[in-house]
Amino acid sequence: MNLLECLKSRQELDSDLFLTPMRLSDRTVTLAGYTSLIDMPQTMIVLRQLAQNDVASDHPLFALDSGLGVAMQNPDEQALLDAIAEGDLLIFSDEADRCIRIVPVSRTLSRAIESPTTENVLRGAISAFNEDLDTNIGLVKKHSLSEKLRIRSYMLGKNQRRRSVLLHMEGQNHDRLLESISNKLESLPDKDIPDLQALSELLGFSKWSLISRFNTTELPQEAASALESGKVVLLLDRFPFAVVLPSLLSDLFVTQNDRNFPTVFRVSFQILRILGLLANVLLPGLYVALVAVNPEVLRIEIALSIAGSREGVPYPALVETLLLLVIIELTLESAIRLPKTIGPTMTMVGGIILGQAVVDAKLVSNILIIILAATTIANFTIIGFQNATALRLYKYLLLVLSAMFGVLGLFVGMVIICAYLGHVSTFGIPYLTRWKTGGRHG
Amino acid sequence: MDKSRQVIVMYLITHLGLIFFLYPVDIISALSVGHWSAVLLGFMLHIALVAVYTKGLSYGAPQNVVDLFQGVGKAFAFVALLPLAVYFIVVIIITTRAYAEIATVIFLSDTPISTIMLLFLAVSTAISLTGIEAIFRTGMLIAILFFPFLLLVIVLSFQNADWHYMLPLMDRKTASLSFVYHPSFLKSLFAFVGGFLFLGFIPPDVPYRRGKIVKVSFALLPFFLISVYVPLMTFGENTSSRFPFPFIMAVDTVDISWLMFDRVTMFFMISLLCFVILFLSLVMWNTMLLLKRGFPAFRTKSAVLVLAGLVFVVCLLVPSWNTLEKMLWWNTLLRFYAALVIPLLTLAIGMRQRRKGAVRP
Amino acid sequence: MRKCVLRMALFASIVAWTPVLSGCWDIKDINHRSLPIVMGVKQVDRAYKVLLLIPEVSPSEAKAKIVSGSGNTINEILDEINKNMEYKVDLLHLKVIVFERSIAEKGLDQSVESFMRSKDIPNKTFTAISEGALEPLFEKLEASSGSGGTEVYDFFEKNAGWSPEVVQTRIWEVFRSMDSYTRDVVIPIIKPGRTTTIESPGGAVIKNGKMVGDINSEESLLYNLFKGSGTQGKIEVMDHATVKIVSDRLNTTSEMHAGQAVLNSRLHLKVTVVETVGTPTEAQIKKEIDKQLSMRFNGMLRSAQAKEADILGLGQLFRDEMSRADLQHWRSKYYPFMKINFKVHVVIQDEGLLKIDV
Repeated sequence: MNLLECLKSRQELDSDLFLTPMRLSDRTVTLAGYTSLIDMPQTMIVLRQLAQNDVASDHPLFALDSGLGVAMQNPDEQALLDAIAEGDLLIFSDEADRCIRIVPVSRTLSRAIESPTTENVLRGAISAFNEDLDTNIGLVKKHSLSEKLRIRSYMLGKNQRRRSVLLHMEGQNHDRLLESISNKLESLPDKDIPDLQALSELLGFSKWSLISRFNTTELPQEAASALESGKVVLLLDRFPFAVVLPSLLSDLFVTQNDRNFPTVFRVSFQILRILGLLANVLLPGLYVALVAVNPEVLRIEIALSIAGSREGVPYPALVETLLLLVIIELTLESAIRLPKTIGPTMTMVGGIILGQAVVDAKLVSNILIIILAATTIANFTIIGFQNATALRLYKYLLLVLSAMFGVLGLFVGMVIICAYLGHVSTFGIPYLTRWKTGGRHG
Repeated sequence: MDKSRQVIVMYLITHLGLIFFLYPVDIISALSVGHWSAVLLGFMLHIALVAVYTKGLSYGAPQNVVDLFQGVGKAFAFVALLPLAVYFIVVIIITTRAYAEIATVIFLSDTPISTIMLLFLAVSTAISLTGIEAIFRTGMLIAILFFPFLLLVIVLSFQNADWHYMLPLMDRKTASLSFVYHPSFLKSLFAFVGGFLFLGFIPPDVPYRRGKIVKVSFALLPFFLISVYVPLMTFGENTSSRFPFPFIMAVDTVDISWLMFDRVTMFFMISLLCFVILFLSLVMWNTMLLLKRGFPAFRTKSAVLVLAGLVFVVCLLVPSWNTLEKMLWWNTLLRFYAALVIPLLTLAIGMRQRRKGAVRP
Repeated sequence: MRKCVLRMALFASIVAWTPVLSGCWDIKDINHRSLPIVMGVKQVDRAYKVLLLIPEVSPSEAKAKIVSGSGNTINEILDEINKNMEYKVDLLHLKVIVFERSIAEKGLDQSVESFMRSKDIPNKTFTAISEGALEPLFEKLEASSGSGGTEVYDFFEKNAGWSPEVVQTRIWEVFRSMDSYTRDVVIPIIKPGRTTTIESPGGAVIKNGKMVGDINSEESLLYNLFKGSGTQGKIEVMDHATVKIVSDRLNTTSEMHAGQAVLNSRLHLKVTVVETVGTPTEAQIKKEIDKQLSMRFNGMLRSAQAKEADILGLGQLFRDEMSRADLQHWRSKYYPFMKINFKVHVVIQDEGLLKIDV
């Protein structure tokens, strides 16, 4: 009886907790659970039916093998609370101090399966992950129907329990990779993972890492193909993305969806993305280098037209570029916050009014506007928003170096970036690895 | 996991970085007719040494040079490798200083030379700290990014070539091989020697096939010839011997009207400079490895920083191009030690090791 | 934690030092540099005078201005101009250097050498010789500089206004000829045009940096043909017809007979007929082209031989048949006595849109 007492005292702190008496096959029982998680009327109907079945088959309700759920053996308070927190229903018998835990009809607290919001699919499966972990696992399973798929489940966190699931394909993996990841997950079960950064810390990545060490995808199709190629996928409850490990340079350019196109197109898409990356990183720096330090590289006609358009711009090219870049970053950032209905207004204000006016006011040269527009467009040819964000940073390094050393600075900056990329490795797998199914080359 | 490809790419690009700037002027001033014979002679020497070196290494595989030498005796290794460490440090100094000078001469005439040296040293120190595998991967990425540029410009550099300048192919003076004793010819070996020693320092966990290196070396021959013959064919012998950087002058005469850039050649030179930065970081890594094995008390990070600082100070003390040329000349002795003695010793020790291994299976 | 703070401090100091360091050397933005396109050099007594044509471009209009100065050396003059200009004079984009005829006759070697030595003047700058005084030429250039003064450059630029009767000679070619045993150059002569901006009456024969004679524009065409800078599109006027050269190929073989250089040269031309006067036959046209070109060629060569100026670089063809010591005397010993057999082989590719009676 004292367990119920415990729950009663708990109820005073947590009004969501209900303790409802009910008659089930001539016994009085008390049901306990969270109102917000359990669909009570439906659950009661189901319970009644189950109880009737039991009576019909002449089973006592609380017998161990009654089939009405899992009987809890001498549970303590924490175990009860955990069970309730996970959304289960507890049934206490009023006579004996016994308790059964059953899975109720729960309220629908997740979205239906929808199309992705941050990734677009032109040709291919459109369903995306949502917040429900089991749905997500199901989606992945649907996409990779293989008996080799292995799933390990973890419960992470102390204050905030969070279910997470590690998926991998038997026989495809890099043993060391799988070993290290599961070691990490097992060794620190008490660490809370409120966000991806916490996950990143849990996995032992540096806080200062300038590239995202794992890829996230919203598409089960992508997750399935990552599994297929031997990568490891981590799913977190309440997180509508799959975390794919390890992340590689090729993830910026190659997506599973491309394989729905003929090879020639696929390759040209990938080349386009590489060009996009180069343009995004190089263009602002190149502008500064050519305008400020090495104008001899430009053809005379272009040199004259840039000189003409910069006539009256009061500050050096570096400041000019930084100014406009900051404005563009602000536009990008605000576009994320804006409701969809106001988005076009932003485009209008940012693009047309600001762009035109800033040139007319001789604050920046009009060539720079063109270059920065191209840069920004090129930025988002890269696959994955998290990658595009990381790239945004690199151009500033090149910008500063170019302002100091011209084209030499630009190229040395490239070397620095290449060296950084070459230096980064995830669980012993270098970022620059060329990944092939079943092994790696490179 | 075979890393041969990475090693080969690194081997190629470090040589490419060294070839085009300092090499042609030495060859052109060493003889007036039949330059190919000097190029070929140097090249054969290079191939032979690489072959000896890699053979020795493959006998001793998977150990690297330091392990091999220490296998003979701690003191022996110390004495034998100390000059090599000194040689490496001098190479870092000369290369940094020379290429910073070249950068100011060619395209950064307003920038003080010290900042360019600082840039080179800072970047190459940072890269060398990331370790040899990261250096190789970086090299691979950089090669993929920059190599197309290089090839394009090399093809374009024939634009003003007059093939008649290749003739005559030979005369009596050249045939007598008298140029071998010419200081310029000896200096020109700089381009051959510096690049291949790193092969011996690759740790055992980066496996590569040593025989492949020798085969791939032949791919360098066209570049050596081009670097000498493009200026010769563009300007003729008389005129090109007046330039300090003949190849760059020759490339500068190329006029391409279909590109938006006027001086594409600058991109070429800068790509080469980037290769040189990689070369520097590689040599720095070699030096660190040597110093660490010789003086285990060193902590890698601080030691590299001290080394870089030291190199920077010495570079600042070099007042002029002529001093640099002199240093290059003084360094010849050490260069011969590094180029001849080390490979031969490696071969000898490697063979001894193998014999021992055969006796005690 | 301490490490983290240290790292932050290092980063902050790098960031703070960057602008300070880069302020150390002056980096001037492109709009604070003036980029002369044409430089004129003349000599008055012992002093040099330099004229620069500097484009002045603003978003609304493009024009050019002339700046000049005089002094003992070219560099001194440039410094002087630089001091007095509101912008930094930057010769990185110098496209054409015009010498006055008098200075060319005295010798260009000194100035060409200093141009080659300078870090900022590109060595592919075009050279030209002004027939008259420089000032009228520059005034004409300034007056007609609709696109910021790039007209002269366009006049020589192959993908702009260049035509095959105009010789293109870059400064490195002049420099090369100064030291070469076997090669001289022709520098185009220009003068202000009556209706056009400039016109070129021909070229100046430069031997070892000194102007020793001139050739007219028909001979310039032959010179270009020999240099291999495609003569496509050229219209050749004869008594009976005008033809356009579609493609050309030159075969030469060289031999030495007892100290005498002999050159056999065969020019293959493909032409199309543009205009006929009367009714010439195809054979007649071919014969006339052969006759006319051979005559012109021999005339040009003979006058060049007389001046010992090997403008066609024919000595190149004998490089492997002579020792280096002999090559040194090519101009004086062999070249004037060289025998040349020049033949033109013409194929009439088509006859335009009208037929010719055969």
